[in-house]
Parts: sequence; structure tokens; C-alpha cells
Amino acid sequence: MIIVSHLSKSFVNPDGNVLHVLKDVNCEINSGDVISIIGPSGTGKSTFLRALNLLDPPTGGSILLDGEDILVKGYPVHKLRQKMGMVFQNFNLFDHMTVLENVMYAPCKILHMPKELAREESLALLRKVGMSDKADVRPSSLSGGQKQRVAIARCLAMKPEAILFDEPTSALDPTMVGEVLSVIRSLAKEGMTMLIVTHEMKFARDVSTRIFFMNEGIIYEEGSPQQIFEAPRRSATKAFVQQIHKEVFELNSPDFDFPGMYTRMTRFCIKYNIPEKRETTETITQLMVDEIMADYRPLTVRITHSDLSEITALDFMVENLETSPLQAEGVNPASLEKIRSLCKEVIEEPTTRGFRVKLIL
Amino acid sequence: MLMRKPFILAILMAALTLGACSPKDTGTLQLHSDADLAGLRVATGAGTCYDIELSKRNDITLILYNEDADILQSLLIGKSDVIVHDETIFNAHICRETGIKIAMKGTEEFPTALMFRKSDKDLAEACNATQRRMVEDGTMARLKKYWLEDEYMETEHFTHIPEETAGEPLRVACVTAMAPISFVVENEWYGIEIDLVRELAKDLHRPLEFKLYDVSSAMMAMKTGKADVMTGCIFITPERQEQFLFADPYHGYTSAYYVIDKDASRNKAGLWQGLKNSINKNLVREKRWTYITSGLWVTIKITLLAILLGSAIGAGLCAMTRSHRKWMRSFAGAYNWLMAGIPMLVLLLILFYVVFAGTGLNATAVAIIAFALNFASGACGVYNSALSAIPVGQTEAGLALGFTKLQTFFHIVFPQALRHGLPLFQGQCISLLKGTSIVGYIAIQDLTRAGDIIRSRTFDALLPLLVVTVIYFILAWLLGLLLKCAFPKKHVL
Repeated sequence: MIIVSHLSKSFVNPDGNVLHVLKDVNCEINSGDVISIIGPSGTGKSTFLRALNLLDPPTGGSILLDGEDILVKGYPVHKLRQKMGMVFQNFNLFDHMTVLENVMYAPCKILHMPKELAREESLALLRKVGMSDKADVRPSSLSGGQKQRVAIARCLAMKPEAILFDEPTSALDPTMVGEVLSVIRSLAKEGMTMLIVTHEMKFARDVSTRIFFMNEGIIYEEGSPQQIFEAPRRSATKAFVQQIHKEVFELNSPDFDFPGMYTRMTRFCIKYNIPEKRETTETITQLMVDEIMADYRPLTVRITHSDLSEITALDFMVENLETSPLQAEGVNPASLEKIRSLCKEVIEEPTTRGFRVKLIL
Repeated sequence: MLMRKPFILAILMAALTLGACSPKDTGTLQLHSDADLAGLRVATGAGTCYDIELSKRNDITLILYNEDADILQSLLIGKSDVIVHDETIFNAHICRETGIKIAMKGTEEFPTALMFRKSDKDLAEACNATQRRMVEDGTMARLKKYWLEDEYMETEHFTHIPEETAGEPLRVACVTAMAPISFVVENEWYGIEIDLVRELAKDLHRPLEFKLYDVSSAMMAMKTGKADVMTGCIFITPERQEQFLFADPYHGYTSAYYVIDKDASRNKAGLWQGLKNSINKNLVREKRWTYITSGLWVTIKITLLAILLGSAIGAGLCAMTRSHRKWMRSFAGAYNWLMAGIPMLVLLLILFYVVFAGTGLNATAVAIIAFALNFASGACGVYNSALSAIPVGQTEAGLALGFTKLQTFFHIVFPQALRHGLPLFQGQCISLLKGTSIVGYIAIQDLTRAGDIIRSRTFDALLPLLVVTVIYFILAWLLGLLLKCAFPKKHVL
């Protein structure tokens, strides 16, 4: 369907420096593919997507769509874009129209669809994304997740052959990511050809037929989800997919903001899609910090989560300590028992600088 | 809401009316010699002989005005104690009506003549020939008797010109709209100097064309060839002689010192009766309201056409400021910088007297162009800020759906920008409307000028200004309404 070869794109900064965002991108996209594009920030994932529908025209290389070069001068770009829809990070709904008008506007104006038919089809699409009850409100009164679902319906209204998703959940409150991903999932089931730039690793692994790992302006590694996530061939890919999210708290002063720490932990859990672990995290931390390790200062608390293995851990580290605080005298056995019951595993280990208690949730 | 605005307006006007009628009581000022002027506030015309003479004294407060009506008004409202002007200018009738009197007459006679361009020697010679002929056959004596001694008929010419005339019209710049020198009644010019010019035109068999200027723009019009002869009690001064050519003086006017006549029996009409009298005097008599209506039409014409033309130029400018070509952005930037720096009046004068001086373009067209050029800069700013308010994502979303660039602009961006820009645009339009009140400087009789002309005939400042103000208010309101109707809020589908 689409064959991209030697695609490059460079920007000139205001200070005159040339920035090579895409260096040499080669790939083939077939009808029915669901491709997730993952990779570190600033490696050209979004630029690649925007180059495909010429929102950011590439500076070199070629893109063949059904054998036709779309980069030749005079190519009807708007026709291409009608076949290749796009969903943006910031939704970009038309604020001066109602939800329904947003969806039916393009079919009416571009495809010259009769208004009644467009209305019916648009309402059907809104129903599909669960937004039909908001058909007559303005986008400004919707939540982020609702806006993004409308944006997907708007895109579908043009009956595209492929859809480009440019970080569709990045601007969303973590609680709303799920509703958007589920809509995209159902599209994948229907066999829609899609390219999705995303940071949702689990989603990418579950929904995609192929994964592009982009790094340094090229498609660094390409393969099936199993191959990329479980047996990456190259080291940068491995480092990226196995990356661990973490947040560290240093309890080193009497002024430490305890409520702030719990808020940040809660946010961490929501952000990395483990809201169910929120309460456990807070209970355990409270027990550890206030009771069992109350005398151990300075204390470093760390929460980590790996998308891929879905392992969440709480680390409590004290410097210059040789024995486990859990074994110390005067520890409340009830509290200890409660902690052990909440954790999957408790690891007590000395480190080079002190002692660590690792609790796997 | 709609009812409240006119109500506030009415209160404002009532306050103005009352404020203008506050009397002060002391005896009539007595003058016996120039020395008596010491310590007084003296008003006279800017650039006149009296100005030159009086400005030599440092024991008086000199107040200068461009228009004769304003000089009189300053005395009537107590801004000056005495005014110095030609003895003929405020005749017995005006003195009676306004309650002023001549306290003292000047001793010096100021020779007065018609003024021509230096290069127009032939015309000046022809004028001299006409005057010699008039002196010889006694016409001059009868002319002076008719206008300066008898109680003349305001709407009858002394000189009658045969109907057929040919050739280029003789363009007369009148700087005085005041009997008996030169004045307008129902769009016809009368007066002693008007008849003098009519005699000249009769001898030359040329048609006449009159236009009212203030002194400085009349000089400009003479120099740039937009007028051939200047009238309006022009005294011969060495300064003027350096730049212009005078015909032989036809008369020597002496000055007069006018003061408020406290003994005059003023008819103390009530507020209502006073208003009725004032309306009758300023609007009804001599069909003076026709000045207002024709002026109104001129103002509307200039405003609307300038808005249309300026909006279009502004759109072009806006496109240039957003162009990726550097020279276009520079050009638009320079244009806006230039327009921001030039006062509107100066721009108007430059266009009229310099840029379009040689072309046959009439004053109204020049005014429309001048205001459009200025408006374009403002409109460009409005468009730019309105467009900047629309996130670039809206454009991208339009393009990504498959709209062309042009469609995206007109279907997606423009309707949203309109909501941001319309209030600003309306403000620009209204300030343009009010700004057009300066076109009188290039002798266009707009609404403001219409008020001035009526004032110069009736010496009544209040009502003409009030009427003009009210009309501007209504125009501004209508303009807003027009814009609202032109761009209604509506559903997009």
C-alpha cells in the first residue's frame, strides 16, 4: 500500500542550525497493518507520521502510495489526505461547531454528501465511539478523552483507508487513556490500517501487528510485538522496551512534605496505568515510613514500574546500615505481618552503600 | 439596553445646554485707545494683520482662531474680553442679534485685494483691468455702497453674469464665510469679494467655482494649483507678497474692537423656546439642514468606501506579513510602521497637495484613498491578531481531513477568526468614521464642515455642534449594527 524509501526531513532552527529529524526512513506498510511506532522522545516519530500525509513535507526520499509517487510536484495532496486520516495529540476539534457538525462537516463540504445522509452516518459513528449523547454540545464542554473520541469519529467520517494516530493519549488525563485506547482497539479488530505513535507499551504490544522502534531519525528495529518486546535484537531497543519508570523521594529533613509524597505516588500509579496499586502503595509506605523505619533517617524511598513486566516495586534504602530494619528489635509484628500480606515478595538485601528493603507489589 | 443609551445622551446634552447659558454680570467694557487693552484677553484671526500687530504687545493675552465664527463665539462664551476684527464683518444686524457692539474703531486702514499665484500674472492683470473699468464707470462705488453701507439683501448678487460661459472655470478659494465679504446661502456664494470675482469672470467669460478653505489650506491649494484666486478679506502683507501676487487693493478696511454689550436687551427665551428658535435659525432658515444632509452623505460615502477599500488592502497586507518571502514581510512591516507614524491629517494633506496634486482626482476620492491607506494598516493588525488567536492545530486538522489550503482557511480558520476580530474591526471602523471629520482641510464639505458653515452664518456654536455630535453617535451605532448584520452568528451547517 505504502512504500517509504530513504525518507529524510530536516528543519532549519531560528538560530540557523540545521536539524536532521528524519535521516533515512525505509518501510513498507500493507493494508490491514496496525503499526505502533515507539521510541524515545525527539527521534522523529511524529515527524515521520506528519511526513506521510505531507503536513510536514519531507526534504528527501520517496513515498509511493499504491505505486504512485506522492512527492511529485502537483500531486493532489488533499486527495491523499482524504484517504489517510489523522488523529492529533491535541484533538484539534473545531471549536466553533457542535460535536455533530465536527463529524459531518468534512463529508458535507468535501464529499458533497447530502446533509441528511451525513447526519445519519455521523450519528452512527458517534454512537460507535460512545459520544452520540453529546452530539449537540460544543467541544469545549467535553473532557479530553471525549474530545479524542469525537476526533476519531470525525476522522472515520471521511471513510479513510488508513489512519495516522499522533500520540492520541499523550495529552490526556491518565484516567481517560483507557476509553480512547479501547476505541482504537475496536478499530484494529475491524481491520483498519493504522499507524500509531504511542508511549503506551502494553497497548502497543497487545494491539499491533508490527512495531517500529524509531531512534536517531531512522527505523532502528522493526518486527512483531513478540520480537521487539521479548527478544529485541539491538541494545538500544532493549534498553527502551525494558525501561523502568521511577520516582525517588529523599526523606532527609524534618520539613519533608509527606502529603506531597503520597500525591506524587498516586499520580505515578495513574500515569503508568496501575491505579489498582494506588491504595496498597500508600498503605505500605505509611507503615514503613511511620512505624517500622521511623528511626532510620535519612531514608530514600523509590517507586518503580516496568511497563513490559508490569512489576511495581517500593524500595526503602538506608545508608551505612548492615542489618535489615525488619529484623530489628521492637518492630511491631502486626505491622510487619500486614506488609507481608500486601506484597508479592519482600527482599532484604545489603547494598554497596547500605541496606535496602525491596517490596514487590 | 437599547433605550438606555439615548437616555444618557439626552442628559449629557441637557447639561451642555445649561452650561452654555450661564451669564456673568458686570458693565459693558469701555475702550478709548489701544492702551485700554492692557490686561485683557483679546481674540482675533490667526495670521491676520491684527494678529501681527497685537502679537507685538506683551501686556495682553492674545487668543487666535482660524474661523471667524469661533472668534465671535469666544467673546460670547466669555473666553475673551474683546475681539479685534474687520469693521464690516459683524454688521449691525449680527451685533443686535448676538448682543455685541463696537467699542472702538482702529485708526489704520488695511489695503485688501484679491490674491493670485505668482505665475498667474495675466490673471492678476486682468483683475486689475476689471477693477480699473469698475472705478471708471462707477461700478466700484456702487458695489461698495451696496455691500458696505446699505442694508444689503443677503440673497441678491450685485453683479449679474450672463448664463453662457465657456472654458476652464475660475476656481475661487474662499477663506471667509462671513457677510459681507463672502458667504454662502443655500449653496450660492454672495458678498462684496464674490461680486468682484464675478465682475472678473464676466470680463473673462469664464465660469466660476467656489470652495471654502481655512487660510492655511487655501494657501496650499493656491500653491499647488488647486485654486486660482483667493478671496476673503485678504490684507496685503509683505510676507504674503513674497509668495503670492496681489491685485490692486479694492478697499481699505479698518479694524474694530468688539465687546459684549451688557445694555442690549437680550430676549430671555425659556429653554424650550430658545431651543426652538435655535433650531429654526440653524436648521430651518435658508434650508440650512441641507448642509447637514449633504455633509452626512459625504461622510457616509467616504467612511464606507474607505472601509471597503481599506479592508481589501489590509487583507493583502496581512497576507504579506504572514508570507514566507522576506521582502513581502519587510514591505508590510515598513508600511505599518509608516502609517503608525503619520498623523491622519498630515497624510491627507500630503496625498491631496503633493501626491495627487497633478492628477485630476477630486478631493473626495483622495480622502477615500487616504483613509483607506490608513485603515488598511489598522485592519491588517486586526486580521493578524484575530488569525493568531486561532491555534495552528485547527489548520492542520482541516488539512488532514482533506480540505485544500484555501478551503481550510475559509471553512475552518476564517469563521473562528471572525469572532475574535469583529469587535476590534468594529472599533477601527468607528474610529475611521470619526476620523473623517478632518476632511474639511481639503475643502470637502462633510458633516463636521456642514456644522462649521452653519456656525459661521448663525454664530451659534451649540446647536450645530450638538446636531453634528448626535448624528455621529447615530452613525457609529448604525455602523456597528451593519457589521452585526453582515456577519451574523450562525450555525455552520
